[in-house]
Amino acid sequence: MRILLILISIGFITAVKADEIYNLIKIPNLDIYKIDTKNKIRYLNTSNDFRIGLEKNITCARTEPNNLSNKFLIIKKNLNSYSPSFLKKNNIRYLVMCENLFISNINTGGIPDTKKRTLVIDINFNPKYFERMIHHEIFHMIQKSNSKYFDEEKWVSLNTKDFEYAKCSTCSDRLNLDLYKNTEGFLTEYSKSIPSEDMAEVFSFLMTDKAKVEDKSDNDIILKNKINFIKSSLSKIDSSFKF
Amino acid sequence: MINKVKVSLSEKILFVFLILLFLITFGSYFLLKDKCLFVKKINLNEVNFANKENIVVMNVECGNVIIELDPAISPNSVERFKSLIKNGSYDGSTFYRVIKDTLIQSGDLEYGNIDDINYTKIGTGKSGLGLLKSELSDEFEFKKGSVAFARKDNFDTEDSEFFITLKDIPIYQGEYTPLGKVIYGIEALEKIKSGNKSAYVLRPDYINYFKLLD
Repeated sequence: MRILLILISIGFITAVKADEIYNLIKIPNLDIYKIDTKNKIRYLNTSNDFRIGLEKNITCARTEPNNLSNKFLIIKKNLNSYSPSFLKKNNIRYLVMCENLFISNINTGGIPDTKKRTLVIDINFNPKYFERMIHHEIFHMIQKSNSKYFDEEKWVSLNTKDFEYAKCSTCSDRLNLDLYKNTEGFLTEYSKSIPSEDMAEVFSFLMTDKAKVEDKSDNDIILKNKINFIKSSLSKIDSSFKF
Repeated sequence: MINKVKVSLSEKILFVFLILLFLITFGSYFLLKDKCLFVKKINLNEVNFANKENIVVMNVECGNVIIELDPAISPNSVERFKSLIKNGSYDGSTFYRVIKDTLIQSGDLEYGNIDDINYTKIGTGKSGLGLLKSELSDEFEFKKGSVAFARKDNFDTEDSEFFITLKDIPIYQGEYTPLGKVIYGIEALEKIKSGNKSAYVLRPDYINYFKLLD
């Protein structure tokens, strides 16, 4: 019995990093940045580096106060585009802000986790794409929460028959996030990686630069159909949602 | 012939010092061992309660803890909580999960009773009454002494496990089903054994008995 207790105690002591926020979303070293918000989003700051995931392959570093206060204003402004009911329907409740976010040593802008209703954002992500990245990651949470409205087969069928997406978003070199001059069905090179990234790119451009994207779609029937697909799916989730 | 030895002043002082040291050492051993020494005891007969039907009394090592339940916020959960208290299900239930100065958790009826504790499964037990739907409130503030049902990662998984906050935790507002608030005896809960670096506690403290006041 004594040996069993010792063995269990080793497991207990090494396995748990306990505090009230960890208790809730299973990310250690966070503190509250702002929780009293209009759309009920709860902003959490990373006070110390963390490493999470089943294989501890997700890492992110603590924030620097000045950097955080500047980026928080941008993040908040963009999150304020969504109503509390829309965010609730899409399981978006906690936004974790940290610096230099990596998954398996690949730098990434954000990690959505609908189960924990949490979006982790790298505040050091390229400023040129930072605002769009926020909406891009939010789209992934929308899609995961409402997968029946975002049928990927249907989406693929909107492209020309000879086009093929890559097998996964990180196993291709289609990574550029700049808007194409000639869209030909795709807004960016990254849109060509996988269907869900393509959808997220359309959504994020509609959130940040709607006029320009709709203008481009006037001469691009594939893009036009994709925009209509996204709009129609979102209206099924929340009829009051507007870009 | 041996002359009588006269005790010097410094020897007298040393003798008194040694006696005092002995008394302090043994005195503090017994005093410090009693973790409940400075916990104020609640005498139920001296307290008047407005809504007796919603008052429950939890007795732990350091005394009574009085909780006022709030069925207006979470009627089904409070009903479940009361029925488990009424039939003695929580008696002997351990505080197996303690985040020091933050919260204490108890109520695993299957694996968390002090008489038959299962360290490998604790926290996964069921009451046998089925899961409850979460009854969340945006108004209930999780101040120090808030009592709420624990749940798994998902909502609508409440059963019998509950926790009590030992500090204000505003982020829990709207996240957990509130049951009520501790109105007397939070000091007794602050003495519940913690696991220091771990949230899980070996040889944990437990509820002696839990009863309805009425």
